[in-house]
Amino acid sequence: MKALDGVTLTIGDSETVAIVGENGAGKTTLVRHMTGLLKPTEGRVLVDGEDVREKSTAELSRKIGVAFQNPDHQLFSESVEEEIAFGLRNFGFEDGVVRQRIGWALNFFGLEEYRRSSPLTLSGGEKKRLTLACILSWDPSVVVLDEPTVGQDAIQKEKLAEIIRMLRSTGKTIVLVSHDIEFLWPIQPRVVVMSSGRVIDDGPAARVMLSEERLASARVSQPQLVSFYSALKERPGSPFADVHEARRWLSGRLR
Amino acid sequence: MYWLASGFIFRRTDSPFHRLDPRVRLLVSVELFAVSLMSRTIPELAGVIAFMLAVSAVARVLKRVTRTMLLTATFAAFIFAVNIVFTRQVSTSALYAARFVAIVVSTSIFFITTSPDELEQVMKYFHLPRDIVFAFVTAVRFIPVLMLDAMSIMDAQKSRGLELEKGGIVSRVRKMIPVLIPLVVNSVVRSGELAEAMESRAYGAVPRPTSLYEYRTSARDRAVALASVVLFAAAAYSFYFVIPA
Repeated sequence: MKALDGVTLTIGDSETVAIVGENGAGKTTLVRHMTGLLKPTEGRVLVDGEDVREKSTAELSRKIGVAFQNPDHQLFSESVEEEIAFGLRNFGFEDGVVRQRIGWALNFFGLEEYRRSSPLTLSGGEKKRLTLACILSWDPSVVVLDEPTVGQDAIQKEKLAEIIRMLRSTGKTIVLVSHDIEFLWPIQPRVVVMSSGRVIDDGPAARVMLSEERLASARVSQPQLVSFYSALKERPGSPFADVHEARRWLSGRLR
Repeated sequence: MYWLASGFIFRRTDSPFHRLDPRVRLLVSVELFAVSLMSRTIPELAGVIAFMLAVSAVARVLKRVTRTMLLTATFAAFIFAVNIVFTRQVSTSALYAARFVAIVVSTSIFFITTSPDELEQVMKYFHLPRDIVFAFVTAVRFIPVLMLDAMSIMDAQKSRGLELEKGGIVSRVRKMIPVLIPLVVNSVVRSGELAEAMESRAYGAVPRPTSLYEYRTSARDRAVALASVVLFAAAAYSFYFVIPA
């Protein structure tokens, strides 16, 4: 069985890309190829022009930071600051830089008060933020978030979206692997739809999310706002030119 | 890693061996284990291992048993080296190493052809205490889950710059700490959650709960059991009375 089949994908600098699709569509497998955790049996995966087969995951991780779905799968240190220092030391940063990066990461992710706490005592949302802090501490140019919203409540999701917007403004390339269409929609990423190991659609969210049939074939539902717009569009004299106009109108009403 | 470990993990397969009563499979496995201990020369052990591979082929698990042999070969090489140092006899050292491989393969055949449910029934048949049976079977059932957990954790730590494949033995062992701590913590948390889930589903409410499955031996099971006992007796007799040591 082929987990990925005929996938051709180029992700440019500073792009925000969401990979969506049902369970088993090949999303995580694709991301694992980007980081060298899996090596392709056919074809090539290039990161910054370098073939991932020639690099170890640790070497590739300097450029691509991956926050895995389950934070409990990576937290092990005695304190939050040591957890952040782990990756920095692996990459050979000097002590002064390690301290400076820890300070920045704790501050950026609002974890300063937990500096000396055990990572295992943090809440689910805090653990998630800590895993992101760990990865961003060494400033990778690409950040991959695998199912970032799993187990997160609405407020935590909002914080996460805010972090993604901030990362975007700093020019990072962001790859989001998620089922959570409602979370992805406001971010307006480039959306790659996967089904049975193949890419079946690729384009801006505003276009991809409108193709209901194609999304349905990948067992992905449309965002509520897009469904609302699509329903209105069918009626004669629809007041909206596009989905963005519908969003603006609805935002104004809700305000 | 998972490739090697799968040599010990049950996977549902349809084969004549799988269709036997699990108690008969246990009998065959115990007999193979015993003849592995009883064989006193390399040719005898080679014959026993060849027979085990034939059984594996019938059970359609030959590839996975080969993996088991590959994994145990590493330990066998260590046994061989230690014995060479202390006994200075190549044949004796080779015998001990090969015997180790045979013993592991004999038990592996039972475990990779027996589901945790069947294992539970076999243990109950021997009237082992229910709590012990449950704990043992649950541990077996969770081996693949723990393997997947371990791989996920290793992936996560490698993605934080941890080079698990580089360095000397001491350094590699030390590098396993970031893998082992989350694995143990997750396992403890999971076992607590499982205990609560079991209690909430009335585990222990009655001293003798009923069982969904009841195994009855068929004529084929009895024939295989009888044939295996005859073969075992013949092998034991030939090892001690026919073939000179």
